[in-house]
This record gives sequence, C-alpha cells and structure tokens, in this order.
Amino acid sequence: MTTAGTALRSLRVDGPVATINAGWEEREDLVDELDQVLGGNTRHLRLYHRTLDVLDKDPDFAGAALAFRDRHDALLSLYRLRLHHALEGVYTVQRRLGGAAAAAARREAGGEAGPPAYGALDDAIEAARHLDRWYSRQLKALYSRFDEDSPVDASGVIGWHRGEITALLGECAALAVTGGNVGTLLRALRLFAIRVPDELPVVAWSAGAMAMTERVVLFHDFAPDGASEAEVFDRGLGRVRGVVALPHARRRLRLDDPDRCAVMARRFTDQHCVLLDDGTAIEVRADGGLPSGARILGIDGAVHELRRAAS
Amino acid sequence: MTTTRTARLAVNRLRERLPVDPAAVDRFVARHGSPIVEGERATFLFRGEADEVRVRHRVVGLPDPLEMRRLPGTDLWAATTDLPHGSRVEYQLETRRGDHYERFNDPLNPRIAHSPLGSSSVCAAVGYEVPHWAVPDPEARPGELVDDVLRSKALRREQPVRLYLPARYNTALRYPLLIVHDGTDYLDYASMKTVLDNLIHRLDVAPLVAAFVPPRDRLKEYPNHAPHARFVARELLPTLSGRLPLLDTPQGRCLMGSSFGGIASLSTAVRYPGVFGSLLLQSASLVFTDIGTDHGGGPAFDPVVKFVNRYRAKPTAPVERLFMSCGIYEPLITPNRSMVPVFRSTGMTVKYVEARDGHNWEDWRDRLRDGLSWIFPGPQKFVYE
Repeated sequence: MTTAGTALRSLRVDGPVATINAGWEEREDLVDELDQVLGGNTRHLRLYHRTLDVLDKDPDFAGAALAFRDRHDALLSLYRLRLHHALEGVYTVQRRLGGAAAAAARREAGGEAGPPAYGALDDAIEAARHLDRWYSRQLKALYSRFDEDSPVDASGVIGWHRGEITALLGECAALAVTGGNVGTLLRALRLFAIRVPDELPVVAWSAGAMAMTERVVLFHDFAPDGASEAEVFDRGLGRVRGVVALPHARRRLRLDDPDRCAVMARRFTDQHCVLLDDGTAIEVRADGGLPSGARILGIDGAVHELRRAAS
Repeated sequence: MTTTRTARLAVNRLRERLPVDPAAVDRFVARHGSPIVEGERATFLFRGEADEVRVRHRVVGLPDPLEMRRLPGTDLWAATTDLPHGSRVEYQLETRRGDHYERFNDPLNPRIAHSPLGSSSVCAAVGYEVPHWAVPDPEARPGELVDDVLRSKALRREQPVRLYLPARYNTALRYPLLIVHDGTDYLDYASMKTVLDNLIHRLDVAPLVAAFVPPRDRLKEYPNHAPHARFVARELLPTLSGRLPLLDTPQGRCLMGSSFGGIASLSTAVRYPGVFGSLLLQSASLVFTDIGTDHGGGPAFDPVVKFVNRYRAKPTAPVERLFMSCGIYEPLITPNRSMVPVFRSTGMTVKYVEARDGHNWEDWRDRLRDGLSWIFPGPQKFVYE
C-alpha cells in the first residue's frame, strides 16, 4: 500500500516539503499526523487561513468574492439542471440500444449489429459535452469579470501573502497537496496564484490529485439521494495533462454499472479517466505520461489497466 | 423481542403446552417481552384480568381494534398480526372491565414514541432500525438554537420563532433557509436539531439556517389561511433575510411541514408563487373529493378539502422542486399517491418517498434525510479525502 510518506521517500527529496492542505478548511492547522507522515521537515502554506485573512482585511475583495460565488453557484445550478436532462437522454438512448455491451458488439461488427442506431448515442453524449464546454466558457467569463471588477494586484494583503508563499515555496524541495474540499482548495490556489514549477516534485492525493489536473470533474454515485451526474467544476493547475482524476473510485463510482461508466468515459474521451483507489498511487512521468498499470475507465464501461505507458 | 424464526410462533408453542402454571407464563413473558416479532409476524401480549383486551392502532389494512384472545387457564392475552419487513407501528392497548374502558401503553414494551398528543408504544419489525443519523453523534459539531420573537401584523400577535444556526456559522457565507411548520414539535418529537447537526456534519445536507415556527391555532392557521401565508412570505422571510446571511434566490428557500403543516406549506407557496424554490411535505393532509363534499375528515378538514379541490381543478407550480413522503399505513396514503401525478403535471420536479410507517413524528424524522439531502444537498461531491 502506497502512502504519501512512502511516495515522498521514493522521490528522495533533499529539503523541506511545502504542504497545501486548504481542502481541510478549518482543520488546516491540525497537521501533527501530516507532519509525521511527511517526515517532519514541512512548511505549511496555510492557504485556507490566508484566504480568511484576506476576506477579513480586504472588504472590497471580500464583497467581490462573495458576489462571484453567488454567480458561480447560480451558473452551477443551471449547468446541473441542463446536465441532468441531457444525461437522462443519453441513458434513455443507451437503454434503447441495449447498453454498453450491445454498443461494443456493434463496434466490433462495424456498426452492422443490432437495430440501426444512426449515431444517436454519440450525438446524445456530444450534447452533454456541449454543456460541459458551455459551462466552462461561462465560468471563464465569470472569472474575467471578477478579475476586472476586483484586480487582485490592487490588494495589498493578497500581494503580501503571495510574496510570502512564493518565498516559502522557493525554499522547499517538494510539494505535498492533501485531499479535502476540492472547491475550497481550488479557490485558494487561484487566489494566491500558486504556480508549481515543473522541476518541483509533487505528491498529491484525493482532492489534491484532482487539483493537479487540467480539468476537475466532481462525481459521487452514492449520495444519500442517489447517484448524481459527474460534472465539470473548474480548471486545475494543469501539472498533470490528459487526465480526469477519480480518487476513491471504488467508494464513489458505480463501477459495477458498465453502462454508466461507459457514458462517463465517452463523455471525457479526450482524456484518460484515471481511477485512484485507496492505497494505490501512480507516478506521472516528467513528460506528463501515465505509467503502465494505471487503471482507467474504458469506453466499454470496464476498468482497464494501461498495458503500455501513455503520453 | 425480535427473532427471525418463522416456523411455529412462540405463542402457539405455549398454547400447545397448556395448561401451564403462572410461573411458566412469567417465564414466557420475561423471555419474549412484547410484542414478539417473528419473521413477518408480530404477537402482542397482555397480562391481567379483563373482559376484553384489544390492540388499538391506526394501520390502514389491519383490523382496528385488533382483538386479543386469552390463553385458556391463564391471565395472558395475545393477538398476532402481519408485520412486513421494515415496518414500524405505533399502538396502545385497550381493556374493558364491565363498562370501564382504559387505554394505555403496552406495559411489557419499553419502546415508546412521543407526540404532542401523548405517547404510544412502538412495534418495530425485522429490518426497521432507528437511522444512525437520528441519534446524537458526539463527533458532530452542534449548531445553535436561538429564540426570537417577531411582531406580526398579519397574525396580529407576537410570533415566536426558534432559529437554527449551523455549526461554524459564518456571516461571510450565505445559507439556504428552511422554514419549518410545527417547528417546536419537529424539534421535540422528530429530533430535528440532532438530525440537522448530523446530516450537516456528514456532508449529506448543506449547512442551512432553519426557522422553527410554532402555530397558535393550528386548525385555523394551517389550512390555507391568508394571514398565515402573509406572515411567512411577507414578514418572516424578509425579516430573516435582513438579519441573516441567506441566499437571495427562491432555490435557497424551502417551506416544510407535516400533516396540516404540509397544507400550510403548500397553500403559502400557492399564494406566493416563485418566492420559495422547494417544498418538503410529509404526510400532507391532501384530502380531496372528486364529487360532493363528503370527505369523511370532519369539520376541521373542510377548508383543507376546499383548498385541495380548487388546486386539483387548476394545478399550478408554485415551486420548482417538491419532496413528498407518506407512510403507507396511514389513511393519507391514498390522497398523497393521487396528488403525485397532479403535481408532476405542472412541471414541478417531484420526489416521492413511501415508508412502512404511519402518521407520526418518528416516521417524519426517519424521512428527513431523504428530503433534506435532495432539497439542499451537502458538499459530499466536493470532498475527497
């Protein structure tokens, strides 16, 4: 079983380790166990507490941030509403066509097996992709408006924190990013303009791993009110490319439902949907490629292991 | 006592041993208690001298009263009935001695449920468990209850309101608002503060502000009463919005209630469409007639039936989302089931849940997670650790 500690030791870093655990929110300072796992020589960037400090000391920025959050929530609400209906359409078409197994047979037969499908499933999934793109565009526009209304460069307190964070990061030999609330984590990373130098080794897990990718996709098939649809949330730091990170996949995804998994894999088919199960780890190579053995969702809805490293 | 053996019922095994001495009956009762739940059968017991003993309940489909029979040569009375998996039934026993009738909780059953009308014994079938999120969890950080009083012009009185502020309440954030009819009863009999603390702690429900509002004259104020609706929509809501950091959209506001409180919620939303985004109705008294006026509910239901009949004639969508729950053992199950397609026909998104339970506060408690997590889902989707 791989832990953050064993992963860090395998990198043989020489020097302090910077930590970002803003996803833990108000528990951010409870770091005894984290220090122990990482060997003790840590520099905690405390991005969550710094965020609270900014909101406390810069009321103009705080007001703009709250207004942005309201607008973002409203956008998310509309996106979810549209997505729910779009994916209902996808599943309905998929059921009519006999599910993922029938689709695989149809592909094998060059589209000749079973009743004519007229590309209905692909087109239905494209409609969901269209929504994902629409949401991402709208979010980008919201960020632009926010940046125009409240330029962070004008905020002394943000500038001060950014300077301190840059200095702290500069003296560290590695970065550890923990799990927690990925929304809180992404907001903090953005507020303090965290850039991870390519040469800096990173150990990231759970929400932290998601934040390292280009596009953060939220998912949870076992919520109290039933499965909810996977949704694009925001951009990550993009340190890892071509990957949708799916931490705790066994606990959070209905992997025994190949039809549902097939839709997810086909919806994000331009990237690998990588399963990050508890106790497992993947080491992304310097060129950004995935190692062989990484577990990914296939467009047939099954879980596959990469036989050869993928770039 | 609960067992899963379904071969011969314990009481029948005792019958086969008759006659038995009082000590044998003592041992039987001490061993099994009451009711004895065996598979999908429940046997109610009573010990004592009486002319008649009955189980009184309000389970639709079972005879009420359920006559108990005396085991010959003993003072032990018994009655056996069906009890499907997962059921929960509230009941009392009734004795007749000459002309004297007496009703009381089952003295052999320590399990009691409370309500504003008193208490009842509880018979829980195999498969029923009190939800883990309905009992106090020391890990769950508690929210705070704050008593407030509003001067209401609509109601022409001081109206008490008890506010629930979630753990880690922060005025820099914005919260959804849940307005709860029969608020004091939801807190006292449906453990609603414990439920909110736990569901918020477990990320099942978004941190929210709840306003628990008790009625003064429930039968007058709840069935489609204009002053009550005006108080909720035009006085309570603006006052709370001015004082507290609340979401400023209909989607962030929900009205909830059970029984007549469900009618109060629905009728308020109908009078003020678009103000609230969702409704949470539990065993709502959605009684109606298709022809004539004989609804069988007594005079208290007259304004309810008038309102529901009018709504059915011209259904509207006063909110976007509607959660409904009802116990299948209560008489209101039929009208509730009948209203689901009516509500859906308006374009509202409706989630409807049934339970093998009755018209009581513990049933409503047990359905709170279904309703609240659907209306105000928690941040589970954001948390990966």
